[in-house]
Amino acid sequence: MPEAEFTDNAALLERLRERDADAFRQVFEHYSDRLFRVALRILEDEREAEGVVQDSFLRLIESLDRLRGDAKIGTWLYRVAHNAALDRLRRRRPTQDLADEAQDDPGDLPPPVNLVDWTDLPEDQLCSSEATDYLDQAVAGLSDSLRAVFTLREIEGLSTAETADTLGISQSAVKVRLHRARLTLRERLADYFSEQVGLGDPKQA
Amino acid sequence: MQCDDLLNYLSDYIDNDLDEALSAEARAHLATCPNCKVVLDTTMQTIALTRDREKRVIPAARRQQLFDQLQDAFLNQPDKTM
Ligand SMILES: [Zn+2]
Repeated sequence: MPEAEFTDNAALLERLRERDADAFRQVFEHYSDRLFRVALRILEDEREAEGVVQDSFLRLIESLDRLRGDAKIGTWLYRVAHNAALDRLRRRRPTQDLADEAQDDPGDLPPPVNLVDWTDLPEDQLCSSEATDYLDQAVAGLSDSLRAVFTLREIEGLSTAETADTLGISQSAVKVRLHRARLTLRERLADYFSEQVGLGDPKQA
Repeated sequence: MQCDDLLNYLSDYIDNDLDEALSAEARAHLATCPNCKVVLDTTMQTIALTRDREKRVIPAARRQQLFDQLQDAFLNQPDKTM
């Protein structure tokens, strides 16, 4: 379900322009944690991610009178936050090139290697704190371009079109990157969980 | 449909983005190919686990601070349309 936008975006923008405090509270309530998570997935540092939230809303406030009436506030904020987080990352590691190999070629997907079925593991094993940490690390280990798409589409629930707008890439690139990210994570989780399947259930060994 | 094709279409299949003909071919392949069925099931489980992951939020005290500060900026930024 896409969550990027309020349904009556134009009216909301109008209220923001009139400095309606309720409208501002509404936008802050809806987007602050979402923008925080987008930045956190890039920076892995809470204070810096909070800084990104702050910068993004300040940009919005400054830009209110310049935004077009049909501007989508949510996508606009996501885009500003994403770029602000990347800027901070560049400052942190200026020698490193962030433009990682964009993997937008739909061909030559790596074939799945681990084919153990671990989906019947009990809930408390799938959601243990160790498993959750492992999952976070696996997401953090994705390349920048895959992680950005995965975070927006899968974790924040943006649509393909909204994700494309936010990142300034085509919808087909969003789809290819999401697919690659899912398969990469599947492989990582399979490596982790398949060992636990072997332990409890000899027929799988 | 072969395993390679199924793998290419897997996300579209999961997201219900395939047309009916391709979707039927994918279902037919999955019914006879245990390997692809495992890849489908474990991919969907992977997606479910990431979606269920407790979402991180701004620490409450800091969030309030941030709001107060931003609301201040919002209310004091001159409205150029007036
Ligand atoms: Zn197959």
